[in-house]
Amino acid sequence: MTDEKKITCIVCPIGCKILVKIDGKHFELVDGNKCKRGIDYAISEALDPRRMLTSSVLVKNGEWPLVSVKSSKPVPKNKIVSVLNEIKKASVNAPVKSGQVVLNNVADTKIDIVATKSIKK
Amino acid sequence: MVEHGRKMINLNADVAIIGGGPAGLAAAISAHENGAKNVIVLDRNSWLGGILPQCIHDGFGVEETGTSMTGPEYAEMYIKAARKKGINFMNETMVLQFDKNRKIIAVNKKGLHEIKAKSIVLAMGCREKTRWNIMIPGDRPSGIYTAGVAQAFINLYNIMVGKNVVILGSGDVGLIMARRLKFEGANVLGVVEILPYASGLPRNVVQCLDDYDIPLYLNHTVTYVKGKERLESVTIAQVDEKMNIIPGTEREIKCDTLLLSLGLIPENELSKNVKIELDDLTGGPIINQSFETSLSGVFACGNCLQVYDTVDTLSMDAKVAGENAAKKSVKQNKFINVKAGKGIRYVVPQRINEPGKIHFTLRVEKPCESPTLHVISDGIELLKKKLPWANPANTVEFDIDISAEVVKYKDLEVILDD
Amino acid sequence: MKNFHVAIIGGGVIGSAIAWELSKYKVNTVVFEMGSDVASGMTKANSGVIHSGINSATDSLKARFCVEGNKMLQSLSKQLGFPLKMVGKYVIAKNEEETKELERLIKIGEDNEVPGLEIKDGSEVKRKEPNVPCYKALWVPTAGIMQPYEFTIALAENAAINNVNFLLETKVKNIQKKGDNFLIKTNKGEFQSQIIVNAAGLNCGEIVSMLEEPDFNVYPCRGEYLVLDKNYSNLINSMIYPVPPKELGVLGVHITPTIEGNILLGPSAEFIDDAEEKRTTKEMMKTLFNEAKEIIPTLPEKAVINAYSGIRCKLASPKEGGWADYRIEESKQTPGLINLLGIESPGLTGAPAIAKEITRMISKSIELKTKTDFKTRKIIKKRFAEMTAKEQSDLIKKDERYGRIVCRCEHITEAEIIQALSNPIGAQTLSSVKYRCRAGMGRCQGGFCTQHIVRIMEEQFKIDVNKMKLKSPDSNLFDGRTR
Repeated sequence: MTDEKKITCIVCPIGCKILVKIDGKHFELVDGNKCKRGIDYAISEALDPRRMLTSSVLVKNGEWPLVSVKSSKPVPKNKIVSVLNEIKKASVNAPVKSGQVVLNNVADTKIDIVATKSIKK
Repeated sequence: MVEHGRKMINLNADVAIIGGGPAGLAAAISAHENGAKNVIVLDRNSWLGGILPQCIHDGFGVEETGTSMTGPEYAEMYIKAARKKGINFMNETMVLQFDKNRKIIAVNKKGLHEIKAKSIVLAMGCREKTRWNIMIPGDRPSGIYTAGVAQAFINLYNIMVGKNVVILGSGDVGLIMARRLKFEGANVLGVVEILPYASGLPRNVVQCLDDYDIPLYLNHTVTYVKGKERLESVTIAQVDEKMNIIPGTEREIKCDTLLLSLGLIPENELSKNVKIELDDLTGGPIINQSFETSLSGVFACGNCLQVYDTVDTLSMDAKVAGENAAKKSVKQNKFINVKAGKGIRYVVPQRINEPGKIHFTLRVEKPCESPTLHVISDGIELLKKKLPWANPANTVEFDIDISAEVVKYKDLEVILDD
Repeated sequence: MKNFHVAIIGGGVIGSAIAWELSKYKVNTVVFEMGSDVASGMTKANSGVIHSGINSATDSLKARFCVEGNKMLQSLSKQLGFPLKMVGKYVIAKNEEETKELERLIKIGEDNEVPGLEIKDGSEVKRKEPNVPCYKALWVPTAGIMQPYEFTIALAENAAINNVNFLLETKVKNIQKKGDNFLIKTNKGEFQSQIIVNAAGLNCGEIVSMLEEPDFNVYPCRGEYLVLDKNYSNLINSMIYPVPPKELGVLGVHITPTIEGNILLGPSAEFIDDAEEKRTTKEMMKTLFNEAKEIIPTLPEKAVINAYSGIRCKLASPKEGGWADYRIEESKQTPGLINLLGIESPGLTGAPAIAKEITRMISKSIELKTKTDFKTRKIIKKRFAEMTAKEQSDLIKKDERYGRIVCRCEHITEAEIIQALSNPIGAQTLSSVKYRCRAGMGRCQGGFCTQHIVRIMEEQFKIDVNKMKLKSPDSNLFDGRTR
């Protein structure tokens, strides 16, 4: 079965509306992209949509109660909820260094959750 | 430090920067790189980076560095660079006023400070519009927050603001907060936007609303808030092209929280105090090509100058401001004006007093496809540029070589033909 | 069960004034306030006008207490440290017809012994008030302004340091007369008292009906206001009133400067069914602006920065014309129950005189002996922002928390926030802080300081985030932790 899909590109601020056809694993560009980067985005969005994930993790004994975190790589969209649930359960002891891995292989995605801020004791 | 009769702590600075957010940090680093040895940054918070530590989402620094960073990472990059250079930071320090001779009075827990600065850079940032900027009638319950305040509570203080949320205004902060609240388990009932299009970037509409099936109500506004104590509901209604409410379209939405993302107002109380000329259109000081305000030796950058779309362009401009603050200022007695003409909301800089290659930033009035930008001086077209698209949410930037001839006597006008 | 000599129901300006008056004597007094702070009902939302006494019929209680209260307020202001300004007022007539109304007011005023009344020509008014064109105007020099909540807080906190018990968030649910005592049931437990002072404002009828069948009705009448930005404070110097409209027993939409430097437009007058409907409406915002523009034709629309409303407690229905005198009396049917009914404008002005009268009434059944250790504390010392550099430096040396500005719009320091939260009646909402030290009242409406105040509440006062409130018992600010 062939699906037609309109994808808004999120690579740059223009936000092109790109029309694609998908048939299982087969991808066909129809129209709408203003540049080449749009094609790459449309392919990944059509076949394996992913998003960078940012949130925060509880800090124990720190000068702030939370540390901001991000995923080390874009997370498959269908895994976002389970990754968020792991993040909510996690906690870390101060001090925290920016770049420190807070969660390893989160929700079996082979993706890490990394602190994006340093928190002193 | 010497104490005299009025018990002030006296300091001197080559460049004093008011505000340690992204603009202040960028200006400080650049001022130092350009020869200012003694740079002092004054900030009222206990931390540096201004609003960035609470902007935990990514997308910062793409234009500037080619990599996407989160707000805290972007801030840390600048803070590290500034500390390496030995820039002096005074945190939890509030500037109460400064005068025409660039004498700053500031206060912190050590006492009152009098700082004599050769140059001052204004980098005070901006504040959010509130319910009362658009006069939403109804009750006065709790549960109404500006988006930035809610963002601080959730991302910095570990405090949740509510369960069932309506967001008014589709600026980027509103869109980012819709997703953030969803991630934290809130029920985001919709984003309400009075304009026929989202005010934030299309990519944020996709990854913050569409991804999570959060409805966007265009051509709608909140007409009433109800709740004797905590918010109980808001009424939304459709508006016509003139933004008048269409009777009969009102609809009550039960909710306990209303987030307002209505836009930002440059903070310029200190500038007003010393009678620096302000631009009604930007809300910030009127500046020349060197980011110098109408008060000699006082420069402005960041969101207190104009509300920027991205921190990248903000920092790049702030570096130019910092560089100029480190140098000697150009005499300001003669200048030409840069006017925002048809289709243009504002242009920065508003004044030019020296020839050369000048970088302009402008905001258009409404979205349009492939318009043409014209810069005209005394009937002569200095620039004609076809744009692929234009949107009030995105500033337009361009450079022009301005000759000495033009600077002598001819004002510039910028217009947009669609 | 706790026993009191006097139980005051209602911590508005009337209840607080009575509490303070009684705190001078050796009498055990309690105030039940259902809100989270004093001044949270009718008192909070009115024009803040110190009336002269030209608007109430001679020999009425309204006229008597207004004139007496007016004379007491200036010395009270000095004693308790709440600011007031005797800015005077003009009642303006647009034509000869309206001038007759001014003559009528001057007659009432003179009968009430209001000094200094004078009718002035439009040209003379224009010299003092360049933005107010008129034909003639009545000048009332003894009218003034104050902040109703500052006055009430000053009264209540002074009463509290002299051992009056303030029970906030305490709603009286039932009262029974048991012998010589009243048994009072509240959501915070049961209490006994010899005398009940019913200063419940809009709920005065509800309180009476717990003990007897009321012989009156309360007609709530809403008044909406618009607030102008401080940048427009020089539009007027004095208060500007139109001649009073014939109906409704109100004074009409007037223009009032405030102590803080804003200007108020309003109030409207609209009889409503539900006394709780304290809201603002789009329609009335327009009407108020247009009516004010009749007085100041150059009034700019962008000057409007806020809106609020309050409810008047009227004993006369719209059919009866809305005007009725106060009823301040001990119930014949229930001895010991002292009722204050229909206390609307000029109740703020009359409050200190009313309090004296109630104290006299109480002294008939309870012997009031003067305290020897009566204390007075000025509520508003000089604000940090208003001090000289030397005063500021000295203060920071003594207490470094004065060096930390928390509210950047109004320049309010951490020390002042902490003082506000440490008030003797135990009010700790965000509004309590705002009304005591102005934090959050400025341009950003709390955008910058709320988070810092919340942190102070949490770290230094150990208030649970789920119990932090905006202004009233159920106006919770937050919904727990994110983590």
